[in-house]
Amino acid sequence: MRTRRRAAIALAALTTVSAATLSGCGTGSGGGSGKTIKVVYQQQLNNANHVQADFLGPMVEQFEKANPGTTVKLVPVTASENDYYTKIQLMMRSPATAPDLVYEDTATINSDVASGYLRPLDDYLRTWQDWSTFAAPAKAAMKYAADGKTYGVPDNTDTRGLWYNKQLFAQAGIPVPWQPKTWADVLGTARTLKAELPGVTPLNVFTGVAAGEASSMQGFEMLLYGTPAADTSLYDAGQGKWVVGSKGFKDALDFVHTVYSEQLGPSPQQALGANIQAQVGTEMIPQGKLAIDLDGSWMPNNWIRTGPEPWPQWQSTMGMAYMPTQNGQGSGKVSMSGGWAWSIPAKAKNPDLAWKFTQFLETRANSAQWNTVNATIAVRTDVASDPAYLKALPSNAFFTALVPDTYYRPGVPAYTQVSSAIQKAMESVTTGQASVDKAASTFDSDVKTAVGGDKTVQGAR
Amino acid sequence: MAVTDSPRTLRVRPAAGPQAAGRARLARRRRALTGKAVVNVSLLVFSALYLVPLLWMLLASVNAHADFRLSVPSPTGENFHRILNSDTTYRPMLNGLLLCGGGTLLCVVCSVLAAYPLSRFRSRLRRPFLYTILFSTGLPITAVMIPVYSMFVQVDLIDSMPGATLFLAAAALPFGIWLTKNFMDGVPTVLEEAARIDGANAMQVLWRIVLPLMWPGVIVVTIFTFIGMWGNFFVPFILLLSPEKLPASVSVFTFLSAHDQTQYGQLSAFSIVYSIPVVMLYLVLARRLGGGFALGGALKG
Amino acid sequence: MTATTAAAGTPAAVRPRRGRPTAAGLLRGMPLLPALVLLAVFMAGPIGYCVYYAFTDMQLTGASATHFVGVDNFTRALRDADFRNAVVLTLVFVVGSAVVGQNTLGLGLAVLMQKAARPVRAVTSTVVIAAWVLPEVVAGYLMYAFFFQQGSLNAILRHLGLPQQNWLYTLPILAVCIANVWRGTAFSMLVYSAALGDVPQELVEAAEVDGAGPWQRLWRVTLPVIRRSVMTNLMLITLQTLSVFGLIYTMTRGGPGNKTETLPIFMYQQAFTSSLIGYGTAVALVLLVVGALFSVVYIRMLKVEED
Repeated sequence: MRTRRRAAIALAALTTVSAATLSGCGTGSGGGSGKTIKVVYQQQLNNANHVQADFLGPMVEQFEKANPGTTVKLVPVTASENDYYTKIQLMMRSPATAPDLVYEDTATINSDVASGYLRPLDDYLRTWQDWSTFAAPAKAAMKYAADGKTYGVPDNTDTRGLWYNKQLFAQAGIPVPWQPKTWADVLGTARTLKAELPGVTPLNVFTGVAAGEASSMQGFEMLLYGTPAADTSLYDAGQGKWVVGSKGFKDALDFVHTVYSEQLGPSPQQALGANIQAQVGTEMIPQGKLAIDLDGSWMPNNWIRTGPEPWPQWQSTMGMAYMPTQNGQGSGKVSMSGGWAWSIPAKAKNPDLAWKFTQFLETRANSAQWNTVNATIAVRTDVASDPAYLKALPSNAFFTALVPDTYYRPGVPAYTQVSSAIQKAMESVTTGQASVDKAASTFDSDVKTAVGGDKTVQGAR
Repeated sequence: MAVTDSPRTLRVRPAAGPQAAGRARLARRRRALTGKAVVNVSLLVFSALYLVPLLWMLLASVNAHADFRLSVPSPTGENFHRILNSDTTYRPMLNGLLLCGGGTLLCVVCSVLAAYPLSRFRSRLRRPFLYTILFSTGLPITAVMIPVYSMFVQVDLIDSMPGATLFLAAAALPFGIWLTKNFMDGVPTVLEEAARIDGANAMQVLWRIVLPLMWPGVIVVTIFTFIGMWGNFFVPFILLLSPEKLPASVSVFTFLSAHDQTQYGQLSAFSIVYSIPVVMLYLVLARRLGGGFALGGALKG
Repeated sequence: MTATTAAAGTPAAVRPRRGRPTAAGLLRGMPLLPALVLLAVFMAGPIGYCVYYAFTDMQLTGASATHFVGVDNFTRALRDADFRNAVVLTLVFVVGSAVVGQNTLGLGLAVLMQKAARPVRAVTSTVVIAAWVLPEVVAGYLMYAFFFQQGSLNAILRHLGLPQQNWLYTLPILAVCIANVWRGTAFSMLVYSAALGDVPQELVEAAEVDGAGPWQRLWRVTLPVIRRSVMTNLMLITLQTLSVFGLIYTMTRGGPGNKTETLPIFMYQQAFTSSLIGYGTAVALVLLVVGALFSVVYIRMLKVEED
């Protein structure tokens, strides 16, 4: 008898547990009251890096104090970038889990708009004076081509250029400050460095699949957007088509090929390894083993006191030069930008309060503080001239000056696939597996497969 | 290696002696002894090689400047000190224990219950059912997470630890049932028939007769299930939203798969702390099995 | 396979009753209920959805509508060189690390450990099992450190005067195979240790008296006796290895290039990096089929032997 009862109890307990959980232990729906907002952002992988949490915490406190009765719930998502995108996209899909404010990579905003995840901000922006202080390219990147509406408020950006080691230049007898005017100048200097300084890698250009987006953006697009077609060299936003078969693409690929076939760059093994980015920032540059690095404005984050490789001498050792266009045409310089923005999901329960909080985060003072602590480049032109911000990092002035000439990546969902195709093409010319022509035609067919042949257009030959 | 040469030298010797038979026996014994030595030495060398990665983790965890080189540092507790705090370690570990402990319990109970009819009664449905669940163990669980998320949102189970526990249990069930059934097949049915004649019902038989005879099996299933869940990153990552509910596997996966990390000492310390629950579970339970070898028993076929 | 044959082999199995499900039959099946409910709700449902997704162009981002596209995802896969590469690598990984690696090493260890001294046996089994108990990602991290250019493996090779290389770059698939052998061999070792305990000692001795060498004894006597364990083990490690994700992802993320991009990694990249849910789930279904094919082969091999 006893056993039967016990078994019955066990079963009953089991079903109760399942029933209880099914009937609503779920707490994910969050408070739907007009006074509460949920704010989702990415917690950086480095578990010592709480910059954003430390910035947002006090902001929330101040905001709640200024707006009594409101609650801002911060929801950090600890994940790699890709997993972060997956997670917020899932959250935004359903009203029950959609946050009220979400930190979006500017590269994925358009794609998320296409999915209907985000809400246009035009009505809010119309009455917001400060919007006019935002740099034009940054604002343009927030616009969705199909409807011309704006879907995010950028709070930082980054720009790209050439870092070079002044001491190594001096040893090689190259005068500093150095500013190449064409691609040929860059390669020429690299060849001189190679001849003069054995044991030093002359020039790093990220390449291949392992370095991921760093290859596409810091490496390839910095070249491609410097060809005469400029911002229509990869994607023609006017026609909504991807450019294939262009001479510019081959020229850019040929630059990469030259760097690696003439051994001006790191060994292909090293360049194609998974941790090349960390190696460049924390080993090769501080140890004086790399002379020129085509890289981003954030590099000093490696070397500041709280960074992974504290190196105070960088300020006197490292020089900066803009990346020249192919033949010095146009403004003569080229830069690519990314960055992050605040967006309000379409299914947000409390968009008005979310907007209010966004405005609060993006005041001139708060914006300047964020760009300073985060060591990112300002998108507000008034912050760009803020002395505290300019002093925070000696490189800020240089990289902020690139903001007017910078390009954002095509804000189209298929970009990730095109970007992988770029990385593949780069990898095959880096290893020498394929010729430039062969790699370019593989790219063309990869892009056609990914986006469909009708979404491509023949570029200038 | 020098050791491998010795049997050959020995083999030559017996023929030289006059009393061949006696010598031969002696030689065989000696050969057996040398064989044993060879076996022992090669197993030890093999174990040493096998140990290297583990050794690196231990050394790196107490090394203030750890890199991938195998080096003996002047020990420091700094790495552990850095990670042993509520946000990084304690809370995620506790969440993990709740999720995986609950999930394992649920999975084992359901497996035992389900295995009984599968092991004892014949039905036309049994075989297709077993094959189906067995094949489904080959499915990468990441593939089903999108529909699972939608479903969880609809029944309001998203961001619920019990909900995530139920899913983890369900995902571990196919292998659990299959393994438990195999163990149960090994329990002789003679005693059961006697009990049935005495009027016991199926549940009583299962509880009083079968289970006591297959504790090793239940322990094995428990270990398997828990190890599998403890390492599962994607399921809790997708199903739980609040950071304070996430288990350790989420952060550990994120940290360890990010190759731009340079704090190998801390990562190693974290890996060790993160591995402690599974190692403890194994040590505690496997001791009750009398060494790990009953683990294989279920799969003898 | 064990699942079906073992019960028949159990001497006093309750007599099978066939025919229509009766009330009594249903009652006997009751204990299955909790498991069935869990499986139906949490597994069958989502898998059903996945099957549907596989025939659509669903994207997590970039498109608001989802359309039914028939078998487009599958034909796309067939044309996709990366997919074919993933299939080949998956086969290499499963055959190399599971069928050959874990299986052989596990058997070898079990055989040797039978002959070894007790302390040696304890040491070996502890070390091998320790690698197996560790969470998959930790194992992946340790193997990454081990194969890294400045890692332990190259240090050992240098000491032995052997050539070194950047394993994760030059031979990445070999590195992940070895990693999986390192992590997974314990399973096979445990299975075979248990199985070898059942091999009648008289049989082995008789063969020895007949002049059979150690290899012959293993091949002619031991293996036929434990063949059922071999097949079961092969099937289980094949299924486990097919879905290995964390280990490879932690070590190489499928790279360099796509040289370690097995099907689970490929599926993950398509579904979540490129956010092509439809295509990704189609790949997952292919993976399921590959697992079933392997299993069918093993089950067939057992059957053939029995007839």
